[in-house]
Amino acid sequence: MISEEYRGAKQWSRNKQAAFTVVWISFLSAAVATMVFFAIFDPADLAHLIDSNLRLSPDLGYAVGFFFFWVFCALCSGLTAFLVRTAPKRDKKHRNQ
Amino acid sequence: MSKPEPASMYASAKKIYPREIGGRFDKLSKLATITLLGLFYLVPWLLWDDRQAILFDLPARKFYLLGLTLWPQDFPFLAMLLMILAFSLFFFTALAGRLWCGFACPQTVWTEAFIWMEQFTEGTRSQRMKLDKAPWSFTKLRKKGSKQFLWISFSMWTGFTFIGYFTPIRQLGVDIVTLNVAGWTLFWGLFYGFATYGNAGYMREQVCKYMCPYARFQSAMFDKDTLIISYDEKRGEPRGGRKRSVDAKAAGLGDCIDCQLCVQVCPTGIDIREGLQYECIACAACIDACDSIMDKMNYPRGLVRFTTEHAIQHEGTRVLRPRVYIYAMLLVIMIAGLVTAMASRTPVILDVIRDRNSLYRELPEDFIENIYTLKIINQSNDARVFSLSINGMQGAVLDGVGDSVPVEGGGVLSLPVRVKARREDARGVNTILFRIEAMDDASVVIEEDSRFIGPTR
Repeated sequence: MISEEYRGAKQWSRNKQAAFTVVWISFLSAAVATMVFFAIFDPADLAHLIDSNLRLSPDLGYAVGFFFFWVFCALCSGLTAFLVRTAPKRDKKHRNQ
Repeated sequence: MSKPEPASMYASAKKIYPREIGGRFDKLSKLATITLLGLFYLVPWLLWDDRQAILFDLPARKFYLLGLTLWPQDFPFLAMLLMILAFSLFFFTALAGRLWCGFACPQTVWTEAFIWMEQFTEGTRSQRMKLDKAPWSFTKLRKKGSKQFLWISFSMWTGFTFIGYFTPIRQLGVDIVTLNVAGWTLFWGLFYGFATYGNAGYMREQVCKYMCPYARFQSAMFDKDTLIISYDEKRGEPRGGRKRSVDAKAAGLGDCIDCQLCVQVCPTGIDIREGLQYECIACAACIDACDSIMDKMNYPRGLVRFTTEHAIQHEGTRVLRPRVYIYAMLLVIMIAGLVTAMASRTPVILDVIRDRNSLYRELPEDFIENIYTLKIINQSNDARVFSLSINGMQGAVLDGVGDSVPVEGGGVLSLPVRVKARREDARGVNTILFRIEAMDDASVVIEEDSRFIGPTR
């Protein structure tokens, strides 16, 4: 039967779902954050602020900025996902409240 | 009776083999795919006045959009544009459901292109399923190998094109041919290429099901008058197989012959007859499939069709409803706002920075001098001459600067400026206005204030 092969077709495990969602959503957030941040700040100016001798190619500046935001956003949404998924279940008595 | 399924979250991952189907919506979706991908791959090659028509030049921090040059200071325009795009999405969702998902989303469009390549190398649905089950042989290796070759080359080209929006693509092409690509450029190209390969080749509908935020919240924009793909249950049930010669009514059957074609063509592997599901991306493949069967059976088309929940319940459906009006109104207001703001944009920016090293300098003959650095950004594409003047402070005069300042097109000029005033006019902290005006266009004018500091006595 054709329908048999589809029932329950290709389901991701809960962990895989969570992992990919965290990576993807933090990627999107990081993209937006990078855009807003670097619209205001020039990476060359920032490098100058940290150390006046530091010469940073714009490419490297944008890349570092983007990955910084990505890791940070992933940390945030990863922890959120972790806490939500591992929260103690409500016992039956209170379940319908 | 089939056995009850084990908890689906632990079911082994099964691959979906979408079946190919021709038809009206298939033509439409092919047209959308070719148009959108064509635009993506072509646009970076277009020129406008000897430079790339659309280029986000990150190192120079300038965005070229056709004849327009946008600067970081113009970021609010970009933000507004993104908001307009978001509201367009809401508007079209309220009106016509997930049109975006089925026909315009990059995920769908690239997946479609990857499925074409799969069909080209591995054949039809049943051939693909057989091939995957078959043991490794030379033929299998050849088919799988050529599919991977097509996929990978297409992905690399995609990554290269993507980078072409940020790096002049003609030069990039030369760099690639001469194996001379800069490190980060290469990295982002491979990154985007790999993402395309993974998303369109392997993850496909899983992205829509598990990773897409829009798929989850689009239901908030739905109501019973939104266009959806729906199975006409009243007409179709009770479903069942029958010979073409059998009179369905007499046999007590509905119009659905339970051929499963609508399930086989579904790229997300759902059964539309079970009602609207969030996995449905409105690609309309099931409509094409069902129509083809209805034609064969000599039944009227439209057992599965684009319709609204109200219409399928035989109640009147209203396209123009408050929700649609509100989204449309907001959209019009935002577009008008953006156009006005863009049109009234002054293509020059003036920053005034006071010299940090000294408050003031005392000159002979009882004059007080302050030093500033003016940063003049000429946002237009042509060189311009600006006239510089100061006002707002009695007795202050520019010292040692000609009153005409040339700035090249798209250039930034740092101009040290000395201003002097008599001691009696310059006591304490005064506000001073710097004003620049384009010589060729009096409407291009901008004023910035700063402080002029003098001795308190």
